[in-house]
Amino acid sequence: MTAAEPHQTTAPPLALVDVTKRYDSGGGGSVTALSNVEFAVESGEVISVVGPSGSGKSTMLNILGLLDEPTTGRVELRGRPTGGLSAAERTDVRRESLGFVFQDFHLLPTLSAVENVRLPTAFLPGDATDRAEALLELVGLGDRLDHTPDELSGGQKQRVAIARALVNEPDVLLADEPTGNLDRDTGVDILEEIRRITDEEGVGVVAVTHDDLVTEYADRTVELVDGVLSDG
Amino acid sequence: MADGYRFPALSLAARNLSRQRLRAGLAALGIVIGVFAVVTLGLLGNALSAAATEELGGLGNQVIVSPGESSGSESLNSREVAAVRRAADGRGTVVPLQATGATVRGSDSQRVAQVYGTTNPQALFGNGSGAVPASHRQGALVGSDLASDLSLRPGSTITVEQNEYRVIGVLPPVESISPLQADSAVVLPPEEFATQGVSQVVIRANSAEDARAIATEVRAQLNSRQQRVSVFSLTSILDRISEFFNLLNGFLLAIAGISLVVAGVSIFNVMLMTVAERRGEIGVLRAVGIHRKQVLRTLLVEATLLGVVGGAVGALFGVVTVILTATQTDLPLWAVLLPGNAVVPLGAFAFGVFIALVGGLYPAYRAAWEPPVEALRG
Repeated sequence: MTAAEPHQTTAPPLALVDVTKRYDSGGGGSVTALSNVEFAVESGEVISVVGPSGSGKSTMLNILGLLDEPTTGRVELRGRPTGGLSAAERTDVRRESLGFVFQDFHLLPTLSAVENVRLPTAFLPGDATDRAEALLELVGLGDRLDHTPDELSGGQKQRVAIARALVNEPDVLLADEPTGNLDRDTGVDILEEIRRITDEEGVGVVAVTHDDLVTEYADRTVELVDGVLSDG
Repeated sequence: MADGYRFPALSLAARNLSRQRLRAGLAALGIVIGVFAVVTLGLLGNALSAAATEELGGLGNQVIVSPGESSGSESLNSREVAAVRRAADGRGTVVPLQATGATVRGSDSQRVAQVYGTTNPQALFGNGSGAVPASHRQGALVGSDLASDLSLRPGSTITVEQNEYRVIGVLPPVESISPLQADSAVVLPPEEFATQGVSQVVIRANSAEDARAIATEVRAQLNSRQQRVSVFSLTSILDRISEFFNLLNGFLLAIAGISLVVAGVSIFNVMLMTVAERRGEIGVLRAVGIHRKQVLRTLLVEATLLGVVGGAVGALFGVVTVILTATQTDLPLWAVLLPGNAVVPLGAFAFGVFIALVGGLYPAYRAAWEPPVEALRG
């Protein structure tokens, strides 16, 4: 496990520059989900994004994760704009630089914990089993390596998902309601886990959440209301 | 501990199939039935065709040249026989034959029988048996039916139209169909016939193609201006028969093929259900950096696996069924086990795999190309 290394460039690992996202709402009208958003996450920093439902949090996370494209503005990876990338290139960037943690865990039910963790590397040469096992040890599941998701509790599944998100040594981990399906105690465990890994691995974290608990563990919190971002 | 993914698409696909065993099994069963139908019908058709060709094969190689009706003659002259010999040169054995009907009397009873005169009974009536002489100078050969009717054996004496002959041999029973009624005939040396004119020339061609060529050439040589001879060949009838078998085979295979196509539709359906259920998972795969083509490949492998398993089982069952059928019925086993027949199960297997692949194509494409955001929104 590599400790946080000082980055050569001063550009943040992931940033939104004046990002606006509009959706057609049918009947010729459009809905503005994000409006001129400026946002950056630094290595080792945990940011929580809060806001009411429909405020554009998920849209922001999707755009940060290169799963969706802004209508105007740009997403920058270490200062490099990503606008001109093809679908395949964006897929590569996701695999190389980003990790995803979902509210519903989204583990593959047929795969064991280790196999789920190394899934992002499945089509790459080499065997990431050792790293997957080490990550599972790190999140406290060293004794559950071969368990399938249905043999794991909700908190354990989310730990597997976090390990999966880290398997490619990403710069930024994007979490969508990471504690949304967990009880409060388990949520605390997971957040402590995320906090610890962020500090140990120097990964930046952006967590979109309704949960006030998440903000307690964040370095800073920003608020989205009707697509407009402000410091919380 | 699980191995590393050496074949990630295959490994993931196999896992996914194991998730819905019943559904995967039913989809594969469709391919099993389709491939089974193609293999059994195809193999049975081929075997029947081969057995029939073998049965009729000797017939197809025979050409019989006799005087044409309009020629007014009852025999072929030496020029005509020579022309036939030229036509058949290198393509088969030419046996001039005299034929007439006569009363044949044994020791206690008599029959009206066909009497043939030839110097080479071996070629016409030998039926592969060494017992029939290739050169016939004296005495009579009798057909097997006539021999039993008149209680004849070698050494017996028969009377044919007031002349007495010693029986020098009994012809082996005719096994293949032939225009010559050898079983109830008497074969005498040609010198015993009152007229020396040849009443017909029988040509045993080396192959059906040779028979066809001989018949064509004899017609061209002798019948160009006038219908001097009549050329009788069963090759064209055999062609018709084999045409019929081909048609029948094609028809049966088409029906079997339809059942395979139906199986393909069921694979299409199963794959559509599968990708609809796994929409979120596929979205996750795409989000964590698995490429569209890799997702597509995994899903196609999944569909193809159904075809491979179903096809292999169907082909195996089909072959076993046809072999069992052959051992339990008159269908000869050799006709089933001809090396060329291997094409049928292999082809049916390949077709089954192909159909499964095609069935999976659209669902896999649709799933792999769906934007991950929408798939994740589920």
